[in-house]
Amino acid sequence: MSKHRHTEPLSDLVLRVKALESLLVEKGLVDPAALDVLIDTYENKVGPRNGAQVVARAWTDAGYKARLLSDAGAAIAELGFTGRQGEDMVVVENTPKVHNLTVCTLCSCYPWPVLGLPPVWYKSAPYRSRAVRDPRGVLREFGTELPEDVEIRVWDSTAELRYLVLPERPAGTETLGEDELAALVTRDAMIGVVKVTVPT
Amino acid sequence: MNSVHDLGGMDGLGPIVHEADEPVFHAEWERRVFALTLAMGFYGAWNIDSSRHARERTPAAEYLSSSYYEIWLSGLERLLDETGLLTRAEVDARIATLRAGAV
Amino acid sequence: MPTLAAKETPALLRKGGSTRVAVDVPASFAPGERVVVRNLNPLGHTRAPRYIRCKTGTIASDHGVFIFPDSHAHGKGPKPQHVYSVRFTAREVWGDEASPHDAIYIDLWDDYLDQA
Repeated sequence: MSKHRHTEPLSDLVLRVKALESLLVEKGLVDPAALDVLIDTYENKVGPRNGAQVVARAWTDAGYKARLLSDAGAAIAELGFTGRQGEDMVVVENTPKVHNLTVCTLCSCYPWPVLGLPPVWYKSAPYRSRAVRDPRGVLREFGTELPEDVEIRVWDSTAELRYLVLPERPAGTETLGEDELAALVTRDAMIGVVKVTVPT
Repeated sequence: MNSVHDLGGMDGLGPIVHEADEPVFHAEWERRVFALTLAMGFYGAWNIDSSRHARERTPAAEYLSSSYYEIWLSGLERLLDETGLLTRAEVDARIATLRAGAV
Repeated sequence: MPTLAAKETPALLRKGGSTRVAVDVPASFAPGERVVVRNLNPLGHTRAPRYIRCKTGTIASDHGVFIFPDSHAHGKGPKPQHVYSVRFTAREVWGDEASPHDAIYIDLWDDYLDQA
């Protein structure tokens, strides 16, 4: 899907939105201060650093990891991450033999409390169409090559369960503390298009 | 409904374009559409399933050539009109006023 | 239906709106069972993508009882029912050209499924 519509100039889009907002405010249907809170929350306060903390905790605390895999919602809530579009969480673990990839083919469902809002590519037609059909090709586009005998599991978020990939902890990180480990964990690794790597 | 939002397995949609370090919102209007959609969701005139279906009912060719928040805008306009909270006529009138620089 | 106020917004966002329903509805299927996705083609809202219809898979887990979007979207009630994680092999869905190792896991409501 292209960023700019072919038939309507950008300024018309801006006018449409201004018209909508001004009327909704005048009718008392929306409160502008609430709009600001909504924007600030998802632009500045909620993002993939949350999920990275969850991953780093699971890597360093076996008990936490077990809780995360058996009741993801409760374990994620232990770190203070709850809410909209993450009320019912499932964590899927990458191993040397199994690699997980998440998608929402029908729209763009994504675990907001741990990853924030999804990137444009995740919501786009190319990803939504190909992730279920050619996961290896998709991973290759992100520079990820997996051995043929690794099982790729593609999770299509058709219901209200929201999926978070627990990536494998890379080798050579044994001496790193939880914060340093969290800094290695990218959003893309928690979607499943890449593995976590140690910068050389 | 068997429409184009049901993209799983469709071919020919091109390479995955990914922008490094992309911002959460690419324009101010996207911020507004995001917030208006959520705020109206909380208002309670419709549920999340109806709101998804409203986006799905964006005409097929428009859906495929729209950016993500354009589809959200399309869905929100549709729901507001269908519930009578804000009709397309009212919005069109306001657009005309804004365009004339009268506000 | 009150207008959302700034002060209440953070708490509402943190609370979210789970569609899980605390009712005791019997599950038609159990983990390990083979199921086939019905040939449903509603004109209205559904969360059963076309690529999975008529395909045969295995119940991987039972997520519990949730609101049913196909009815809920159209004001026809929540019709709470079990949602299952169902595993389909890549070859089942895409044919013999697909990887023999890969699989799709998709969340499907009880009403979408028949015993295989």
